[in-house]
Parts: sequence; C-alpha cells; structure tokens
Amino acid sequence: MTIYEIQHWLLTTLRSVHIVEPIMTSRWGWPICESLHFVGLSLLIGTVGMFDLRLLGVAKRIPISALHRLIPWGIGGYFINIITGSMFLVTAPDQYLYNSSFHLKMLFMAIAGLNVVTFYSAMFRKVNVLGAGADAPWGAKWIGGASLFLWTGIIIFGRLLTFYRPFVCGDEGQTGLLATCLLPK
Amino acid sequence: MDQFFLWLEATALSTWMRESVSVFAFPMILSYHTIGMGFVAGLSAAMDLRILGVGRRVPLLELKRFLPVLWFAFWLNAVSGVLLLIGYPTKALTNPVFYLKLTFIAFAIVLLRRITKSIFQSPDLDLGEIPARGKWLAAASLFCWVGTIFAGRLLAYTYTRLTAS
Repeated sequence: MTIYEIQHWLLTTLRSVHIVEPIMTSRWGWPICESLHFVGLSLLIGTVGMFDLRLLGVAKRIPISALHRLIPWGIGGYFINIITGSMFLVTAPDQYLYNSSFHLKMLFMAIAGLNVVTFYSAMFRKVNVLGAGADAPWGAKWIGGASLFLWTGIIIFGRLLTFYRPFVCGDEGQTGLLATCLLPK
Repeated sequence: MDQFFLWLEATALSTWMRESVSVFAFPMILSYHTIGMGFVAGLSAAMDLRILGVGRRVPLLELKRFLPVLWFAFWLNAVSGVLLLIGYPTKALTNPVFYLKLTFIAFAIVLLRRITKSIFQSPDLDLGEIPARGKWLAAASLFCWVGTIFAGRLLAYTYTRLTAS
C-alpha cells in the first residue's frame, strides 16, 4: 500500500461518517465547535503549561502533587479538542489529509503523547513526592520544556492549517483532490 | 469613518499584513495571538479553578509567580491583536462582535487585577477558606474568558465588510 492509497482509504473512510454532518453544516455548528476547540486549548495550556512551568522552576513553593490536581481539567480540554477536532476531520477530510500543516500537527501530537507516557512512567513517582520549595530533577525539567515546546508547535500548526489548504486537482471540485491526481488511474 | 479605514488600509503595514505571502506575516501573527490566548485565558482559568476549590493544597500566594508569564502573553496578544486590526480595520471595527470581545477582555482584566489584589496578596488566605466574593470573581473571570474566546472566534463568521475599498 502506498502512502497515497492509505490517504485515499482514510479519505473515503472518514467521508463515510455522517453522524455529525447535520451539526457541522448548520449555520453555527462549525464556528461553535471551533470556539470550543479554542476553549479546550486554553484549558490544556493553562493547566498543563502551568505544571510544566513548575517543573522548570517557576513557583517552587507549590508542591508538585498539589498542582497536579489541576491536570484533569487539562485532560478535559484535551478531550474537548479530540472530539471537536474529529468533527472537523470527518466533515472535511480532504482539507486535513493532504495538508502538510496537519501532518506536522499530528506528528507533534504523537511526540507530545510519548512525552506524557515518558513522564508518567519514569518521572511522576519521583516528582510527586517533592514538597514545597523542592526543585524538579533535570529529566522532569526536560519533559516540561518539551511539553511547552510541543504544545506551542501544535497551536502553530493548527493555525497554519488554513494557509496550507490543499489545491483542488482536476475539474472534479471537492472530490478531485490530490489523491485523484496521485493515484494511478 | 470610512476615510480613516481607507487611509489605514493604504498604509504599508496594513498592506503587508493583508498581502504578504510570507508565513511570518499574517499566519504567524495569528499563531502568536492563539498561543498568547492559551496562556492568558488558560493560566487565568487555572487560577480561577484553584479559587473555586480545585487543588486546595496549592498555596494561593504562590500562584502570583505565574502572573509575569500571564502578563507577557497578554502584551503579546495586545501587540499581535493591534497588528491584526491594522491589517483589517474595517472588518473588525464595523462588527459589533469585536466590541463585545473587547468588553469581555476589559472585564476579564479588571477581574484578574481584583483577584490579584484581594486573593494573591492576602497572607491569611493562602491555604484557607476563600470568601464567597472571591469565588464569584473567579467564576466571572472564567465566564469572561470563555466569552472572549467565543467572540474572537466568531469574528471570522460575523463580519459584514472586509475592507473599506
């Protein structure tokens, strides 16, 4: 299977999802989902970003375990964004699947995911016992810094999506996207 | 007013914002605005959540250490916001939703300053019970940031004129 065939398969599969179509094609459906996507983003950056800053040494008098209580709200924001993001994706899959900015966003999200797994498997037990005033170990600082870098990158690639919309290929309009040109006839 | 829009839209900076094909022009300035939003609304919301009772063991007095980051992000957004406005003054200033957004921001900032003064700087509150008034300030702050985000996002869908010319 070539990458083009995978993209084409994803395109047809995602396009066959019609469950959110009535919402997304209504007058305010898409704009409201976008607004919720930004609210989710802010919840994630606010709580996870605050936690990352603490790992890096800001507000050291806050015990790391205490600040960690805010993280579920960031996870909530993350899930708001997974849901709204998927709604955009199934409504206009071609806008995303052939968009280099979307590819980079997904790559950064995957790395951010690995960063989270690394943190909880290798660092969490060490930092969770640290009291007020304690400095996080270097490993945790790197993870915190990487998290800030990755989420900032994810925001940038998310915003740049609009400016890297794929070109329409051929005269077939919406269906005649890159896949049609790239796949052998 | 149209005279002013026409003049502003003819300036080099406004033209650059609209017409430059560089990714570092409009696209990146819009990205900075979104990053700043994440930190301003997000950090402020995290502080509000603490005041409302999430993470009670977080000492309130220490939360003010995040304020420099928050204010840096605020000024980043003030500057990027003004640049976006210079690019499309007619689009924003003829849209009532834009004034709604500015109103939400003004209230959110007033609330943040009051929260800073009455909560982050009173030693007796640190880990103690927060008075109802403090919780109302935090709830209002959350409401204003959500309002700002919705109004801001909906600007792209509610404008009636793009440019004056």
